Amino acid sequence: MPSQSPDAAEREQGILTKAILADFRAVVGAKGIIVERNQLQTYECDGLTALRTLPAAVVLPRSKDEVQAIIRICAQHRIPFVARGAGTGLSGGALPAAGGIVISFARMNRILEVDIPNQRITVEPGVINTHVTQRVASSGYFYAPDPSSQSVCTIGGNVAENAGGAHCLKYGFTTTHVLALEVILPSGEFVHLGSPVVDTPGYDLTGVFVGSEGTLGVVTAITLRIVKKAETVQVLLAAYNSIAAAGQTVSDIIVASILPAAMEIMDRLSIEAAEASVHPNYPPCDALLLVELDGPAAEVDLHMQQIREICRKNGAWEDRIAQSEGERFLIWKGRKAAFAAAGRLAPNYIVQDGVIPRTKLPIILDEVGRMASETGLRVTNVFHAGDGNLHPIVLYDAAIPGQEEVAVELSIRILHRCVDHGGSITGEHGVGREKQQALGYMYSEPDLNTMQLVRCAFDPHQIANPDKLFPRPRLCGEKTGPYTPHPLEVAGEAEYF
Amino acid sequence: MPNSTRLQSFADDVGAISGPENLGVEDGVLSVAPANTEEVAEILRRANKDNISVAPYGGGTKQSWGNPIEPSLILHTSRLSAVREHTWQDMTCTVEAGCVWSSMQSVLAEHGQFVALDPLWPEGATVGGIAATNDSGSLRLRYGSLRDLIIGMTVVLADGTIARTGGKVVKNVAGYDLHKLMTGAFGTLGIITEITFRLHSIPRHVRTFTISSPDVEPLGRLLMRVLDSHISTQSLQLRATASQFNLDVRLATLPEVIHDQASSLTGLAQGVDLSVTDGSPDVWKIRQELFDHTEAYVVKATMLPSDISKVTASIRALGGESVTHATGIMTASVPASSTQLSHLREELEAIHGSLTVLHSPLNAAPVASSLPADSLPLMREIKHRFDPAGIMNPGRFLGGI
Repeated sequence: MPSQSPDAAEREQGILTKAILADFRAVVGAKGIIVERNQLQTYECDGLTALRTLPAAVVLPRSKDEVQAIIRICAQHRIPFVARGAGTGLSGGALPAAGGIVISFARMNRILEVDIPNQRITVEPGVINTHVTQRVASSGYFYAPDPSSQSVCTIGGNVAENAGGAHCLKYGFTTTHVLALEVILPSGEFVHLGSPVVDTPGYDLTGVFVGSEGTLGVVTAITLRIVKKAETVQVLLAAYNSIAAAGQTVSDIIVASILPAAMEIMDRLSIEAAEASVHPNYPPCDALLLVELDGPAAEVDLHMQQIREICRKNGAWEDRIAQSEGERFLIWKGRKAAFAAAGRLAPNYIVQDGVIPRTKLPIILDEVGRMASETGLRVTNVFHAGDGNLHPIVLYDAAIPGQEEVAVELSIRILHRCVDHGGSITGEHGVGREKQQALGYMYSEPDLNTMQLVRCAFDPHQIANPDKLFPRPRLCGEKTGPYTPHPLEVAGEAEYF
Repeated sequence: MPNSTRLQSFADDVGAISGPENLGVEDGVLSVAPANTEEVAEILRRANKDNISVAPYGGGTKQSWGNPIEPSLILHTSRLSAVREHTWQDMTCTVEAGCVWSSMQSVLAEHGQFVALDPLWPEGATVGGIAATNDSGSLRLRYGSLRDLIIGMTVVLADGTIARTGGKVVKNVAGYDLHKLMTGAFGTLGIITEITFRLHSIPRHVRTFTISSPDVEPLGRLLMRVLDSHISTQSLQLRATASQFNLDVRLATLPEVIHDQASSLTGLAQGVDLSVTDGSPDVWKIRQELFDHTEAYVVKATMLPSDISKVTASIRALGGESVTHATGIMTASVPASSTQLSHLREELEAIHGSLTVLHSPLNAAPVASSLPADSLPLMREIKHRFDPAGIMNPGRFLGGI
């Protein structure tokens, strides 16, 4: 078992004794708890498989009351916990704490209330993203945030990570669509944040909670906004000889006061990989631009004409519109399979999630290309171009000694360059365990200390998903100011990296 | 140290920070207008040391909102008024908190862009004050609230810490969204000194239509039908005036399309036996005029869209006038007794809504505003962590925070 981290020692983390396990079992029943080592392995990592920690136990509650009882036990004994939906997160947000428990929401997947006239739906955290849309589709509505993993990922995880997706450009992020949360605080108390009605009196705690990556508590119900499905949807594919030309098209479309539902760019490597894996029938080219327009039919037609002209003006040598629902589906399938398809290009790869102001796109792509060739590694790019959200995929072979370290370092350097250009280290994947240090590159100590004030108000003992998000373990009430090494660090018993 | 000596020594120090020429006394209260974020930080650090309460002040348009307080220092943001950056190709801008809303908008309009929000008193209210009170208007239906439009912020905390949150890109999930916590916090957690907004293109073709009726119920039904339609609605509001009820609809679409959309609207109105007329763009300013009724209570009420017509009927029954945006936010002037108003609050709370009193008539009995269901202790804890000495606008916020 991995050794306890120094801050955990400082936190006086409790030990999960047999007696405490019996308490958990009393809450969830014998079928609701996992302690067998081989079964626990399923929960030792999320989508970021490079990092693994075996949890001490996994509990699978069926109701809000059971979640509350579990967290009360955790609070009483200072047992760290992390909530888990489908485990598709890409930043290690659902990675268990050593000696801690995982609260799986697999059994809390009911849709609790549907209110079509007011365009709201209330669900349990284990409900799968696409199931929300499926439930309201017959009334002409959909749930807008669409992370690539939407057919398996859960709303609870989406709330924790403030999940995005290709259609954020027009419709906003998870936070845009969350009206109310029922939360169990790390103390075990139950609170309502927000309400189905907008502008709940008081601080906007819903806004703070969404995207807090499980560090402020656990949700047990979520009220979401649903959106009227547009009258018409059209998807355009345009092929270019350079990414810069595709990028310029994106800027020109925005400046022409058109707000597409999505604008995506893929480079040659990604196109080839997607083509080989799901055959979306993309034209072979150096840069593919995908534009989705939706809205009233007459408006979409006029805007699409304008966009095709902008594409041609920027050198697109082919532009075609998907002619059927089936073609549209296939085009998106290719795009959403891009991460998985990278497995065809190299044995291993790192997916990154930087954001830059849209106009910096050509500059950063140049820089990424240069940094990649310096290391001798290949980087392929797919991105939500409308938002300036890049997903550089660093390809490598872990079997070659030293190459993994080079790949990790390259991917972090790319994020640093995004920050240098006024951007962010993450647009939708979250900080998690993966980018803790990079967060320290983006924000200064006072900024992080201020976030920590919120953390400590919600979770003074830091048992909710500890050692995530913040660059280095820091304790409530700890003196702020310049970096001071921890005593164990000074003694050479631990190091931060 | 006696109180007067303590305040004198504080005034001397504040004068040394921002210059004596930027120091003043208003109704016996010390005031200062710092030049930049760093000066704000120094002033707060100094105030925090001596437990001196501070009230931030922008355009002064909403100082009567919230509980009355007696601060020892009024901190004006009037010298923090620059539009720092308008990166129009990226459709973002960074503005200092003391910038008047309409001044900012006229700078952004040079490139056909705007912050897609229509707050109260845009000619006087400042960017910082609008954010601190989380004001919004009819455009919220289409573009969202400040929570969706603010992407970054610089805030000074009570102890002088300068914290930056968010950034200059729209898509960003790094760290907590502290700017959401600050939006609507009435300056009780810190002073906002700079805000970065995401921008939208100003729609080139908008048209307003009004549907009037002596009965509110069919208009309420029509409102729900418009929400459920494919019409490119930019704004939608239900009004109760002294003589009748009106539903105002503003469409924003291409000129080639607007005729089609207007026909769709006519079709929906015919479904409830009502006819559509061209409306005046001025109907979108009527909300602000409700505040001129100083002899009545002026309140903000929130409700589900499906409850708008019912609550509007209640306001009318009390002899009031109201403007309710389709998002479920009502502004109403109500010439009622405090008991009647309390009953209205209870009626709203029973349907998940809330009532907040923004103005009480002279000598009227105070009416309590709605409180959050069960999160007040958590809000107090956050306040305590951010401002342990309690110097930031103490008591102004709900629950005496």
